[in-house]
Amino acid sequence: MPMPDHNTPKAHKKGKRRRSTLVSARRWIQAFSLCAFMITLMATRLGGMASPANNLAVRISPFTMLTTMISSRTFLIGSSVALVLLASSFVAGRAWCGWLCPLGTILDIFPLARIRKKQAHISDRLRSAKYAILLTAILAAVFSNLTLLFLDPITITTRTLTVGLLPVLDKSIYQLELILVNVPPLADTVYKFDQWLRPAVFQSTPAIFLYPAIVLGFFALLIALNFLAERFWCRYLCPLGAVLGLGAKLSLFRRTVKNSCTSCGLCEATCPTGTIDRAHGFRSDPSECTLCFNCLGTCKNSEFAFRQAARPETGYEYDPGRRTFLESFGAFAVGAVIVNSNVLKLPDTRFALRPPGSTEVGLLSKCVRCGLCVKACPTQALQFDPENSSVVGFMTPVFVPRNGFCDYNCNACGQTCPVQAIPSLLLDEKHKVVIGKAVIDHDICLAWGHQTPCIVCEEMCPLDKKAINLETRTILDPQGQKIELQLPVVNSETCIGCGTCEFKCPVPGEAAIRVHTVETTL
Amino acid sequence: MKAFNRRQFLRMAGLGMTALATQQLLAACGIKPTDSTGRDISQMKATQTPDLSTEPSTNEMEPTQSPTGEAPGLVVVHGTNPESMIRKGMQAIGGLERFVKSGANVIIKPNICAGYRTYKYAVTTDPWLVGALVKLCFEAGAGRVRVMDNPFGGTAQECYANSGIAEQVANAGGEMEVMQHLKFKDTSCPNGVAQSSFKLYEEFLTADTIINVPIAKDHSAATLTLGMKNLMGTVNGREQLHSSLHESIVDLATLVRPTVTVMDAIRILLANGPTGGSLDDVKETNTIAISPDIVTVDSWATSLFNMSPSDVGYVRKAIDRNLGVGDLSQVKLEEINADA
Repeated sequence: MPMPDHNTPKAHKKGKRRRSTLVSARRWIQAFSLCAFMITLMATRLGGMASPANNLAVRISPFTMLTTMISSRTFLIGSSVALVLLASSFVAGRAWCGWLCPLGTILDIFPLARIRKKQAHISDRLRSAKYAILLTAILAAVFSNLTLLFLDPITITTRTLTVGLLPVLDKSIYQLELILVNVPPLADTVYKFDQWLRPAVFQSTPAIFLYPAIVLGFFALLIALNFLAERFWCRYLCPLGAVLGLGAKLSLFRRTVKNSCTSCGLCEATCPTGTIDRAHGFRSDPSECTLCFNCLGTCKNSEFAFRQAARPETGYEYDPGRRTFLESFGAFAVGAVIVNSNVLKLPDTRFALRPPGSTEVGLLSKCVRCGLCVKACPTQALQFDPENSSVVGFMTPVFVPRNGFCDYNCNACGQTCPVQAIPSLLLDEKHKVVIGKAVIDHDICLAWGHQTPCIVCEEMCPLDKKAINLETRTILDPQGQKIELQLPVVNSETCIGCGTCEFKCPVPGEAAIRVHTVETTL
Repeated sequence: MKAFNRRQFLRMAGLGMTALATQQLLAACGIKPTDSTGRDISQMKATQTPDLSTEPSTNEMEPTQSPTGEAPGLVVVHGTNPESMIRKGMQAIGGLERFVKSGANVIIKPNICAGYRTYKYAVTTDPWLVGALVKLCFEAGAGRVRVMDNPFGGTAQECYANSGIAEQVANAGGEMEVMQHLKFKDTSCPNGVAQSSFKLYEEFLTADTIINVPIAKDHSAATLTLGMKNLMGTVNGREQLHSSLHESIVDLATLVRPTVTVMDAIRILLANGPTGGSLDDVKETNTIAISPDIVTVDSWATSLFNMSPSDVGYVRKAIDRNLGVGDLSQVKLEEINADA
């Protein structure tokens, strides 16, 4: 038996060189893509990068485009860039996953499975889970529900950064600065650093974000899954990977194995998605292959080439079929029952305020849960707040006035939203938009309940014709002297619910004046 | 990574400790740590709080209270060009050099309370007046001139821009500083009646010169916003002060001591303050008033609204607490017309 050609030193060396150029090219592009992604995200703020550029990453996902299109029954021109990515899957399969996806790159940074001595055995059948998630999300979208959009890999990454990592970093740095300014030789440097950091990177007021642990925990889970298998998320769960995987069944550029394969198994060990499998004769499924080229140098008998693909590549046990459809329908039905029967959480709509201009129904049928609005909001008024959002609205933005008021002269959230879940309003329009209505709790209000002079709410109401008016009464103070006291009264007709009053109310804890949703104040 | 053994760790720790100790040692030997402007940090807090019990004098620099003194205690300037108004006004009061020493670290504190009105609504200080002041400070030899406020109606950057002040300050070569959260320090107020401490922006204690440039306007809670009320922009958590607003304003005025106050009455807001919103409430008065005594200038400004100093709680209390001279008959007043 002649020696296999690829084992000669010369061929091996040549192959190695080819591999390293392509693989390092991929790694550079991955790093560049992740950096570009982060920079556009950091630049998303009032007065920062303009809208079409900063939210490109979110709009590029065909999974997001497809589901929002179905649930809102509108096609957004801005989302048409997703068609480019979708089209790319017919040419280069899941190259996006291996070369550009920010989440994929982050998962590549943590190849935890390699530290295991014995590889975990996971049934290939689990690969169909991603198709099931995709189908379930589409079924839910038909009923205008987008809850499963929290599983889009791009929104996962944006959300983790905007609602999780950045606030935690912000807070940590601030705490550190607080300690360091007390060290006299460092104080000046710390102040200078902070002065650069605050307007340029973070808000001038240190972050007061709610629940970053939830998004960070979810992200940590995705990384931890890498311990079971490299790119566990991409192989088994990613719905965007499923969309691209379906296109990849027809992809032109793919890896093929020649008949001269010697079954040496070298390529199998290098594949991060585990699609090169002895059981399939070391072939790779284009729906799983991310074109990472790790396998390229190991063998001369496999090659990446353009091949006419008239028929889709099928025949894998995990390919989507009737069973996947039934599973999805089942999952959808169970999910719908859980959500609508309120077993998880009773909906409390009193304070479920939405960003300016968006309605509950409109927002839920469009919001992709990317968290860019949360990042853009200059007062940290927009929050991911499970307390005040329904289960259906999991990870959608809620306006929390006690955290920050809606800046009268700001429309950054609507300008930033990639899917118009928050309408893009001109300032003149935004000034008239009603978010909610302020209601005074007379028992805890300093003026009404404690006869103490305080009309902060009236003073700070930004409207041309203030929505909080003053009523003057003569009362007896504790010393028995007659004093005139000014009492605030809300004009529900003109109040727009910007929440400046609630934010500034000096009563400790919950404010004595709170913005309620319009429906609950009628 | 290079191994880091116990011995090395101890050596580094020892070095660090020594460095810290040296700093203390130097301080004890009289070589005191100084801040960026070269001023002695360790002496600052002690000297910045004036002793109010001995003299009603408000300013250590000049005895401006006596009507027989050379420089007038209050200069009122009428005119249409803010720059020539402030220039002639400052000349009349003895030149800005009186307040701004060569190389001085100057803070100008206008009223930039909200970001949703232009200067026309008389909610924020006239931008050209602030710009001219920056220019004058540099002419007087100031080393650094910063302009800042702590707005409640929007982010600082937005308020600075929309008020028009950012542009004029930039043209004059000054800096707009967004107040840093880190620099609001709990500061005790030894002469406080209602407040024993404030969360004060520390730069207001360390600056060489503070020029207070309020705009005279109506205010729902404080009756009028004048010079002392304008100092509320130097603290964080001002909404906590409203239950004893007038007393708290005077408390703050005992702690933050502007070197000179320039009252912007170019246009004043007669009603619906502090945020206004209707041009019908705005009256063009084309006047500014300058005094090193914040109480004097506030007392004078009440007349713009046909009031007397006793009609405004904090002005009355400041006079009662001997913070400055409120009786204008005791003040040498000079009135000039800058257009003439």
